[in-house]
Amino acid sequence: MHNLIAEITGNIQGGLGCLGAAIGVGMSGLKGAEAVGRNPDASTKILVQSILGMAFAEAVAFYALFLGK
Amino acid sequence: MTTRVLKLAPFFCPLAIATPAFAEEAHGVETMAAPLFKLGPLPITNSMVMTWIVALALVIVIRIVAGRPKLVPSRGQALVEDMIGWLKDIVGPVIGQTAIKAAFPLLLALFIYILIQNWSGLVPGVGTLLMRHGDGPWMELARPAHADMNGTIALTFCAFLAGTILVLRFAGPKTILIDLFGNKANKDEVPAALYYPLSLIFIVVGLLELVSIFFARPVSLSFRLYGNIFGGENLLHSMSAILRWGLPIPFYFMELLVGIVQAFVFALLISVYIGLLTNHGDGHGHAEADHHDAKPGSAPH
Repeated sequence: MHNLIAEITGNIQGGLGCLGAAIGVGMSGLKGAEAVGRNPDASTKILVQSILGMAFAEAVAFYALFLGK
Repeated sequence: MTTRVLKLAPFFCPLAIATPAFAEEAHGVETMAAPLFKLGPLPITNSMVMTWIVALALVIVIRIVAGRPKLVPSRGQALVEDMIGWLKDIVGPVIGQTAIKAAFPLLLALFIYILIQNWSGLVPGVGTLLMRHGDGPWMELARPAHADMNGTIALTFCAFLAGTILVLRFAGPKTILIDLFGNKANKDEVPAALYYPLSLIFIVVGLLELVSIFFARPVSLSFRLYGNIFGGENLLHSMSAILRWGLPIPFYFMELLVGIVQAFVFALLISVYIGLLTNHGDGHGHAEADHHDAKPGSAPH
């Protein structure tokens, strides 16, 4: 007979950190797409800014993942 | 129709056999780099060997491609000049005119070095050739230098030291102290009873900013680079273990992009940290310096 049907494993520290990072990266992309929609000629400049913002937002996920136990 | 299927069937049988066998060893890369041999008391890990190989390759390739700079550029020289011009356009307004001549070689070297080191994990042979000492565990012969925490910490330490020396030389200790601890309120507009307590607050804020400069910035730089490259290496190994043929291909392209972005972000951040203190001559025209000045005591992560 099965005594264990489902379980959640892993650590919540990494999960929460990555959740925040994912939301941040998504927001950066959201605002980038909106800006390009307003001003399609500035597409490359907006791309550079968006990628920069995404790199910063993603870094916090690595703190959460690697700074803990 | 059936003959075509019969002809193609032998190509798909290996997939059916390979998948269950490889799925068992779907483990990633361990965080500590394995020592290959010992030089006296010092163990030399596979990441350290990769730093030497990539540095040597960079020196040789750039020498061959650019050669002696001529007035009418050869194609290799034009390529290198294009890249230098692109980086200078981005980094120049951030650092300011006083320090750009001395700081630009540092930033260019950082960018190219980190870029090729990040991409070294994609070269065939890195991460796949294994060796072992006698009966010990299998170790990779080569591993990207930034997939090891030591690599990124060492790089960040060197870059940060260079940045600090540049800032001390071009901004001077007086400017630094005024920028960190000085009272930024306007003496004419603020009444005296408020001005002097504000000075005290700004001194404490300066102490916080010292913590941010000497702790938060190196940690954030090294962790960002390490996390991205180690995560990419881990991902590639896991995907290769699940299905060796075809599945890692989109992840290779993602690693290409990540390599470029992380190299660019590292160089740009070092330039921002230098420019915060040296870029006073041209005024705070650009958005990033304004953004950082508006929040004293917190640093960009």
